[in-house]
Amino acid sequence: MKQQEFINTVLPFKDKLFRLARRILVSTDEAEDAVQEVYLRLWKGKKKIETYKNTEAFAMTMTKNYCLDRLKSKQASNLKIVHSNYQTSENLERRIEANDGVALVFKIMDTLPEQQKLVLQLRDVEQFEFSEIAAMLESNETAVRVALSRARKTVREALIKKHNYGIS
Amino acid sequence: MELAKIEALLDSYFEGTTTLDQEAMLRSYFEKEPIAPHLEHYKPLFNGLQDAQKENLTRKIVFPKATTSIRKWWYGIAAGLVIAIGIAGFQFSKSGLSTEEKEALAAFEKSKKALLLLSENFNEGAEDLAMLQQFTKTKNQILK
Repeated sequence: MKQQEFINTVLPFKDKLFRLARRILVSTDEAEDAVQEVYLRLWKGKKKIETYKNTEAFAMTMTKNYCLDRLKSKQASNLKIVHSNYQTSENLERRIEANDGVALVFKIMDTLPEQQKLVLQLRDVEQFEFSEIAAMLESNETAVRVALSRARKTVREALIKKHNYGIS
Repeated sequence: MELAKIEALLDSYFEGTTTLDQEAMLRSYFEKEPIAPHLEHYKPLFNGLQDAQKENLTRKIVFPKATTSIRKWWYGIAAGLVIAIGIAGFQFSKSGLSTEEKEALAAFEKSKKALLLLSENFNEGAEDLAMLQQFTKTKNQILK
């Protein structure tokens, strides 16, 4: 596979990989590093890419696994994840999160268990089909639906709570 | 869209049973005003999730240059050239005779000449022998 051809295949979903990485790692910098690393690995294994049915799903799985590994090794080395990006990052996310309600959803999402967070990200942000999500998370559709339902309900509870307190 | 339908969609949304199309309907409902007051608190959920999609990777992805394969090519060509030069040099040195071979050739020519001379003289000698034979014949005639 030629490099240009490879780039044309894998680059269109770079933002999806980035958002997934950021959901897991929280920090923008970490997420960017992770996406770069995933692309390097994809490039090294480019001969195999043609044999995969869905390169995008494969890349998503790879990103997910890589980020979870990073997270684990960080927790093992007792480093705290820096949440400072919420306030300091200067680009679009600031504009998005300046909207209180939206920031709130992000914050609620961060409190979700890993699997639910990922399902919510893949379904409600990236709008993948259940079958695709199941493939990406190496799970099955029923489990994905259950996790999604729980995640949505948790977010709803949190939103209602905030709403009733009038804090939102 | 009627409120009842939206409420029904919301219910199945939280059960995780909506399709992508239905979810798109919900998003578009919460995008536009007015939203029914008792559904107002869902607004950040749908808008937030939609806005989350606008977050993009700003850093440029770096791919390793595709030079490795080209470099390998050059290695191949260079190695081929070295081998070709080696073989060619060997062949040339072979076709040009070395001094030793020249000497041997000269010696060969000389010995050929010498042998030729020898054989000429020998033949002359042989002619003389024919005369000798005649002599013997005549002698036999006389001395019977």
